Amino acid sequence: MAALVRFGSVCHRGVNPLRSVLHARLLVGQQRDAERPYLLTAKIHTSTPSYSGSGSKAASLHWTGERLVSIILLGLGPLAYFCPGPLVDYPLAATLALHGHWGLGQVLTDYVHGDAKIKVANTSLFILSTVTFAGLCYFNYNDVGICKAVALLWNK
Amino acid sequence: MALLLRSMARPGFQVCRSQFGVLYRHAVPMGTTAKEEMNKFWDKNTRLNRPMSPHLTIYRWSIPMVMSITFRGTGVGLSGGISLFAVAAMVLPGNYPEYLDLIHSLSYGPQFLAFTKFALAFPVSYHTLNGIRHLAWDTGKGFKIPEVYRSGYVVCALSVLASIGLACL
Repeated sequence: MAALVRFGSVCHRGVNPLRSVLHARLLVGQQRDAERPYLLTAKIHTSTPSYSGSGSKAASLHWTGERLVSIILLGLGPLAYFCPGPLVDYPLAATLALHGHWGLGQVLTDYVHGDAKIKVANTSLFILSTVTFAGLCYFNYNDVGICKAVALLWNK
Repeated sequence: MALLLRSMARPGFQVCRSQFGVLYRHAVPMGTTAKEEMNKFWDKNTRLNRPMSPHLTIYRWSIPMVMSITFRGTGVGLSGGISLFAVAAMVLPGNYPEYLDLIHSLSYGPQFLAFTKFALAFPVSYHTLNGIRHLAWDTGKGFKIPEVYRSGYVVCALSVLASIGLACL
């Protein structure tokens, strides 16, 4: 509070005249604070100039990748309806597996805490996603394929 | 204190950059990353066995809140379903049309079929439509509270309509 009081008094010149009521309150607060002249330091995460540019872009690229895969999956939906076949089946398998993998990854990041648990959870997810992709490709190759499967299911 | 902060947020409050720098001078850059800080928080609190403050049991549920968790629920459910299907494809003997015929012979009538189609189509359409809503947010649009509610209602209505439409295909 003292830091904010000091902040308010320093910004006096920039304060709108309508704020004079507030300013009066700040003056009162400052008089009380005169007996405690210590500085309140705010611990803030800052990147010093030497840091700028040396950070990893992995998280940012991951975010962009997630959105791109989502958009691709959106496009594959109508494509699967109008042009069913292996040309759509395999990209669909890959996009579904990746979208699900990243999505579940976010869920794990939200709810799993502790280094060891996070590691176990992410490894299990990786195995699950690999198995999912493998299974979908196996289905595409040895069976009717995703598009045909949905079509058959719907035309029961 | 709250009054002070609220009045600072109003547009009439002019903050000169040079004067704001005075407060920033009191800022001490931390030597830890945000991730480390989060881990420290969780480690300390689990070690001291501290109970968590009530959250889901006391907060008032709102439409955006319900839609958000449903979005997550449908996502996890659909993903789990796809994984189950993929594992079954590799593990179970025979091929897909055989299993379809098996379900055919078991089915309890056209209403059952229509209902299962709707039950399958709804998570897909809801997740897809709300996903589009999320992508719109990612471009920075639609964050005002009335807009959030409006887009939410549109997604809910369209999801139901789309599911009915898909079930009738």
